[in-house]
Amino acid sequence: MRKLILPVSILAVILALVVLAPVLPLADERAMDIPHRFAGPSMAHWLGQDEFGRDVLTRLIYGARASLSIAIGSALAAALIGTALGLLGGYFRGIVELFTVRAAEIILCLPPLLLALLVVTIFGAGFWPLILALTLLYTPNYARVVYAATLQVRALDFVTAQRALGTHPLKIVLRTMLPNVLPPLVVQISLVIASAIVIESGLSFLGLGVVPPTPSWGLMIRAARGAMEQAPLLLLWPSVALAGTILTFNLLCDRLQSVLDPRAVPAGGAIWLRRRRTTPIAPRIAPDQVERDHAPADLLSVAGLTISLDRPGGIGSGMELVRGVNLGLRTGETLALVGESGSGKTLTSLAVTGLLPDVLKITAGTAAYRRRDGELRDLIAEDEDGHRQLRGDEISMVFQDASAALNPVHRIGEQLTEVILAHRAIGRAAAKREAVALLGRVGIPDAERRARAYPHELSGGQRQRAMIAIAVANRPKLLLADEPTTALDPTIQAQILALIADLKRESPEMGVVFVTHNLAVVAEIADRVCVMYAGQVVEEGPVAKVFARPRHPYTVALIGSVPEGDAERLVAIPGAIPAPGHMPPGCSFAPRCDHAVAACRKAPPPEFWPEPDRRTRCLRFEEVT
Amino acid sequence: MLRYITYRSLVAVFLVWIVVTLVFLLLHLVPGDPAEVLLSQGSTAADPQAVANLRDRLGLNDPLWLQYAHHIGGILTGDLGTSFRDGAPVAGQIVQRLPRTLEVIVTAALIAVLLGVPAGTLAAIRAGGWIDNVISFLSSLALSTPVFVVGSVVILIFAQELRLVPAGGYVPFAVDPARHILLLLMPAGTVALALWAVVARMSRGSVLDVLERDYVRTARAKGLKRRRILKRHVVRNAMIPVLTVLGLEMGTLIGGTVLVEFVFNWPGLSGYLVSAVDARDYPEVVGIVMVISILFVLLNLVVDIVYAVLDPRISLTR
Amino acid sequence: MTMRLTRRSFLATSAAGAALTFVGPKALRAATNGTLRFGLSAYPPSFDAWASSGSAAGTIKLMMHRGLLGFGPDGKMRGELAESFSVDDDGVWTFKLRDAKWHDGSPVTAEDIAWNVAEAAKPDSTAYFRGEFQSIVKVETPDDKTVRMITKEPSAVLPGWFAHFNMPMIKKGEAPDTTMGAGPFKLEKTDRGVSLSLVAFDGYYKEGLPKLAGIQAIVYADENLRVAALDAGDVDLIEYVPWQAMEQIEANDQLALDAVDGPFMYLTFNAEHPPFDDPKVRRAIAHAIKREDIVAAAFYGRGGPLEHLPLAEGSEYYNADLAHGWNYDPEKAKALLAEAGHPDGFECTMLATSQYGMHQSTAEVCQAYLSMVGINVRLDLPEWATRVQKGNQGQYDMAVMGTTASNNDPDGMTQLVDGSLPASFVRSYGLKTPKLTELLAKGRQTFDEAKRKAIYEEMEKQAIEETPIVGLAWRSQGFAMKKTVSGFTNMPGQLCFYSPETLEETALG
Repeated sequence: MRKLILPVSILAVILALVVLAPVLPLADERAMDIPHRFAGPSMAHWLGQDEFGRDVLTRLIYGARASLSIAIGSALAAALIGTALGLLGGYFRGIVELFTVRAAEIILCLPPLLLALLVVTIFGAGFWPLILALTLLYTPNYARVVYAATLQVRALDFVTAQRALGTHPLKIVLRTMLPNVLPPLVVQISLVIASAIVIESGLSFLGLGVVPPTPSWGLMIRAARGAMEQAPLLLLWPSVALAGTILTFNLLCDRLQSVLDPRAVPAGGAIWLRRRRTTPIAPRIAPDQVERDHAPADLLSVAGLTISLDRPGGIGSGMELVRGVNLGLRTGETLALVGESGSGKTLTSLAVTGLLPDVLKITAGTAAYRRRDGELRDLIAEDEDGHRQLRGDEISMVFQDASAALNPVHRIGEQLTEVILAHRAIGRAAAKREAVALLGRVGIPDAERRARAYPHELSGGQRQRAMIAIAVANRPKLLLADEPTTALDPTIQAQILALIADLKRESPEMGVVFVTHNLAVVAEIADRVCVMYAGQVVEEGPVAKVFARPRHPYTVALIGSVPEGDAERLVAIPGAIPAPGHMPPGCSFAPRCDHAVAACRKAPPPEFWPEPDRRTRCLRFEEVT
Repeated sequence: MLRYITYRSLVAVFLVWIVVTLVFLLLHLVPGDPAEVLLSQGSTAADPQAVANLRDRLGLNDPLWLQYAHHIGGILTGDLGTSFRDGAPVAGQIVQRLPRTLEVIVTAALIAVLLGVPAGTLAAIRAGGWIDNVISFLSSLALSTPVFVVGSVVILIFAQELRLVPAGGYVPFAVDPARHILLLLMPAGTVALALWAVVARMSRGSVLDVLERDYVRTARAKGLKRRRILKRHVVRNAMIPVLTVLGLEMGTLIGGTVLVEFVFNWPGLSGYLVSAVDARDYPEVVGIVMVISILFVLLNLVVDIVYAVLDPRISLTR
Repeated sequence: MTMRLTRRSFLATSAAGAALTFVGPKALRAATNGTLRFGLSAYPPSFDAWASSGSAAGTIKLMMHRGLLGFGPDGKMRGELAESFSVDDDGVWTFKLRDAKWHDGSPVTAEDIAWNVAEAAKPDSTAYFRGEFQSIVKVETPDDKTVRMITKEPSAVLPGWFAHFNMPMIKKGEAPDTTMGAGPFKLEKTDRGVSLSLVAFDGYYKEGLPKLAGIQAIVYADENLRVAALDAGDVDLIEYVPWQAMEQIEANDQLALDAVDGPFMYLTFNAEHPPFDDPKVRRAIAHAIKREDIVAAAFYGRGGPLEHLPLAEGSEYYNADLAHGWNYDPEKAKALLAEAGHPDGFECTMLATSQYGMHQSTAEVCQAYLSMVGINVRLDLPEWATRVQKGNQGQYDMAVMGTTASNNDPDGMTQLVDGSLPASFVRSYGLKTPKLTELLAKGRQTFDEAKRKAIYEEMEKQAIEETPIVGLAWRSQGFAMKKTVSGFTNMPGQLCFYSPETLEETALG
């Protein structure tokens, strides 16, 4: 909202000038003083006098009155009509659509100027005909925008539900649809106002605008253009006023867009695209210090990883989403990261690959990784270029939603080839052959033909197979799989898990971090499991041991929530994860814990080591069963 | 695909028919009489009998439905009629004028894309930074400066002061290619200014949107070089909506370049349309509007097809 | 000043041109003189020889065609296709043709001329002089070179019709919009709306003319661009110089301006809308407007106040004592309004057009001054075609108009003030002026100079009383050219649009 202050206050000043014009100490906007025509700026006439000797400043302000009220008036009128047409057409479709949206689109076929010319000629030049002409011109724009938005909203569940309940269609349209199409509408209005100001000036220039002696910016520019030799300043003032106002409206429009849709504009654009490192790295522990005997992790060893929200000036900046996470991975081992949504498991895996969104920052921790050549690197300290060399080559990721993670406009084969070519010096043809082989390897039938398909032409399972093919194309040392099976139905899930197990068998040295919330999957695939809760690791240990005797009440609850057979979701744990900004002072699970005692609520519990290969963050781990 | 095009063509024919009818009726509703205007040139009093004679000759004394029937009949047999003013065949005139307007629009679009896409992409990458602000400022300026001001200033500086270019006008390419291009660049550049702003703003928004997409993260996860990610996975995808909007903008420009044509004395279709309206030259106005609406509809179809080509997820079915 | 200068240079170059013709063949002349690039203000809407299609069409017609008569650079009427013309005591006009040729080489005969008159006068003709020609009852062709015209009543103004650029002669049997005439240039090529190419006609009846090898007429609809094109060297000569550019052209030592006060602005009234049926109200308005401000604001001081009927100071019919009959006198205006029963003024609309800046600016100044005497004017500024129709149909209270008369003869005012003529936007609507009608008719039938002067003086007195229109301003009509262009003359007064006739004597370099 703070972003809106600047444009809104400028607009307020302009509007105040316009509204208060009659009471301001201004000259008469029509009083001619022909002997002093084209006089330059003076004390009495700050911006000089025009071709009739009238005061330019006064006419500029009164001109704003005409220009702005026409622009705003027609933008709002068109918004009203266009929205109605778009809503009705989009909601009812069929014949209604034909007579609303499609009918409005006929106007688009007419050259805008002809339309204005015809309207103004039929109704005579002046304020209202101009509003009518501009309203007609802009109505189809709104109709289109609202129509498109309506179609999207219409397909949503809650609208379908209301329809099924027999709610009156008009009520649905007004109460449900309208509020939902409002954001694109508001942006459209500010766009149209800016455009209408320009069009008004153009029409006035052609003599189709406001009728003199009422001033408008367009009329002023028209008059000044003829006298460019005599008084160039006369052209400057209305042009500056016009450009300034448009600028303000455009600014307002941009800011509105980012306020109404906060997702649209991340602060500072894409930081990763910049060559320079912009965020200084907090001092870290040297990598060799983190190697600890109870976690002999020769491949990857994460220690003290803390991730916070980084939105300077924004709400909740500095909030810690991941807190002091330690975990280790040995060569050839599969580690499962489990927890509810928001537990920080995905962020942890993204942090290791340097793919965190720009609004998140690693504020502490290290991630020691042993490269193929034996060199030990801190992945947290790595910059984008350093990560880039590793990513797709030594460290690969498989994402949850393959349909979103694959680029829809490139063929599967190409998307596979490019990762090969990015890291290996082989020919394009060889890479292509290898890509086809890989697709066959991950179980895509008719790989030769499928390589030429676009992602949307594949089934969900095949897409995920392709995604996996991309990840293993360069035989990575470390594979991070972020809920790779969640979006798939159970049969396909099983196939994908089998595929990953298969691939593991082929490359026994590959370490896998498997992020999931599905304990059944964990049992099937992982060697060790790491349970995360509210940004912390609460328990870690070998899968069999943890499942047999959990040492943290949360783990117990997790296991308990899995119904017999295959389970999709963890539903049965009462309560919710505390929000990152509102962590309880003690154990973060205490509010939901049956075992919690007073001590639990006092201070965060430290890590305990019930066995050499297990740890937990529970004071009462002995009592937990 | 073929079925789709057939369907769209049928809709187009219907649409064009409505437009033609609408314009025909509106023209007869507009005050001002073709014969009267023609014979009152130079602010002279026209002989009422002469006006009546001319009206008769032009068929304006027939009932409206008959005039309409004649007109539509003519159009159906491929005859757009002849000018009320000097009897020149309308179709021939349009054939002569249309390429000139298209030339300006296409050149302008090329300039706008070549300069607007990089500008918008840069602004998106540096969103919130000073480059973004400068580009946003420039695009607002380009959008808000009326073309007739730009035109006058360009002529003043480049033609009158520096004498680098002629003061507007038109020379056929075949006669003098260099001069033709020089003359073309002025109106095209001016049209490109506003179009550039649209493309730059759209590109910025679209690139910002795409940057947030999962597949860009995938591209990063593959370890691709920045340039390649930007080219293949960001800009390539971001351009789809930009080109669509550009196509629609170009559609509005056919017949919408009046001021530019006027200021640079470029004899295109828009200026022709305005002079035809001024003279109440009904066959010319109807003919021009018909061609413009056909082009508009065609362009929309092309935009949709291009969209489908650029974005394989879209299929052309209805 | 400019006038004299150009005339002197004209004499010099025409002598040189004449010398050249003796020296070598026409090809040589063409090579030395080249093609003149003429910046036209509009593309001729049609080539119809006899229709009034505006000044741009007039310009092109004056290149291609010639009438029986024409005007010399000095503004004097002279024979063109007719070598001589005279009127006998019965008022029969006799034209003796010279040996002129059509562009196809065939001779111009008396029969051709008779056919032109007959065709233009036909009931279904669209000729500008169709109405006037109804008074020509018979055209006789006693021989190939003689044409006699017999009119219903004697007409002193008949030669004016045949000198008009809207009555050029075309070859018998040609369509009215033929481009084949007997003028100095042949139309070779056109790019409709863009340009016209004309080449010298080597069979032109004036020895040694035209001097130019050809003319390339290029349309520049935007007046500012037209000036820019001249300034940038894209054209050699432009018409319709906008007033705001005149100073800049005069200051440019490469360019010359040739401007005359010819066309004029005036107000018309709708007498069917009270109170404009009251001559006192009309006269009050005439006294309420300060003309100098119109000249300054609409014409950048290029022109002059017009406080009576548009009779130029140089005219033989100018009456110095009547010249300020409608002088600016707001007190008198208020008194007249009070006398007419409107001491507090009234509200009304004023029709003008937004298409032409000068009409709009004139209207704005009038509006400002009329408000000072209590008349609140709302401007109606449609585009030109609508304005013409509204004017013709009387859909207005008061209107701003601007035009020129056919020529410098006072009969030209008939179009403006004769209420017996059909309704037209050039004159007041529904205003009967029987006394003026009678005097104007008398003037047309009188051949004696002294008698005519007396008639028109009385007519003017009567007009100032009745105020059928209100003169506002003369406006300067200018041609601008490179200093290297010689022989082109802007003809005086109302004849400024005939000036392209002197293109036959124009030379380059």
